[in-house]
Amino acid sequence: MKDKFSGAFLLWRVALLLLFATFAGRCAQTNELKFESQLIWATNDKQSPNPKHKDVEPEIRKKLDELPLKWKSYFEVNRKQFSIAKGAASKVAMSEKCGIDVKDVDGKKVEVALISKGEAVWTRTQPLPKGEILILSGNAPDKTAWLITLKRIE
Amino acid sequence: MKQELQLKLQAYVDGELPDHEAGEVSELLAQDTEVRGLVSELKNTRAALAGFEADIKLPENREFYWSKIEREIQRFEKAETAVSPVSIFAAWRRFLIPASAIAALVMGVLMVGRQVGHEGAHRGPETETTFADSGAFTYRDYASGMTLVWLSYPAENDLLETNPGNRLD
Repeated sequence: MKDKFSGAFLLWRVALLLLFATFAGRCAQTNELKFESQLIWATNDKQSPNPKHKDVEPEIRKKLDELPLKWKSYFEVNRKQFSIAKGAASKVAMSEKCGIDVKDVDGKKVEVALISKGEAVWTRTQPLPKGEILILSGNAPDKTAWLITLKRIE
Repeated sequence: MKQELQLKLQAYVDGELPDHEAGEVSELLAQDTEVRGLVSELKNTRAALAGFEADIKLPENREFYWSKIEREIQRFEKAETAVSPVSIFAAWRRFLIPASAIAALVMGVLMVGRQVGHEGAHRGPETETTFADSGAFTYRDYASGMTLVWLSYPAENDLLETNPGNRLD
């Protein structure tokens, strides 16, 4: 009898352990979503005329190189980390003229709005799991481009 | 040699034959060497068995000894048939323990799946709204987990400073 039930009890122990780990994982989850956003200037010049600009991090550079973009240099203009509570929104200014508005939607997706001169000119709603990056981009003067990256950190 | 004769010889050796038959066998013994040989062999065997049995002594009489063995056999047979059938509780427990464990496992896997799905591969619908211009296109790289949106609006000067060397500040 004992032998017959030993397998079942082992199964039970595994199930309980899994349930406990799952609940513990869920409890450990924070109620905040953390993001990192960067304003990037893309150019073919090797150096930026603005000494404050610095090359983007190798990780971002590698990811940008995987995209169908034509520029040789990418300079980090501004970088901000921010967090939003679930269901809340946060406006982040990336420059004097532009910024983004990030809003959590049902805890499953984020609504990202591009703010230009204080007004939302474009919005997009999509899932943004941890580690994924959403990049907004457009033309800038002298055949350069601007990019705003939004990466979910947690 | 016929079996009947063999049996008669056996009875002769055991001293169980009546006198007239024993006399017939004695005559045969005198005439037939085969009969003599068999009787000699039977006598030797009987002597050997009698000598062997002499060392075995039962503590009680033969009938009582075998009746004890019979009772033991009957007792074992009753014990085997008297094994109680599996109770309903035990049967349910036998079913419920693995079933509930599997259910708990499935529940756990589903919860983990929902969690992972929320974080990972299961992507909901994506919507996009451009207020001023619909000239945006989206490039999605699933391998690197990147979504690139190229916007034709805002116009290039709207987001950026245009002074050389001071762009994007």
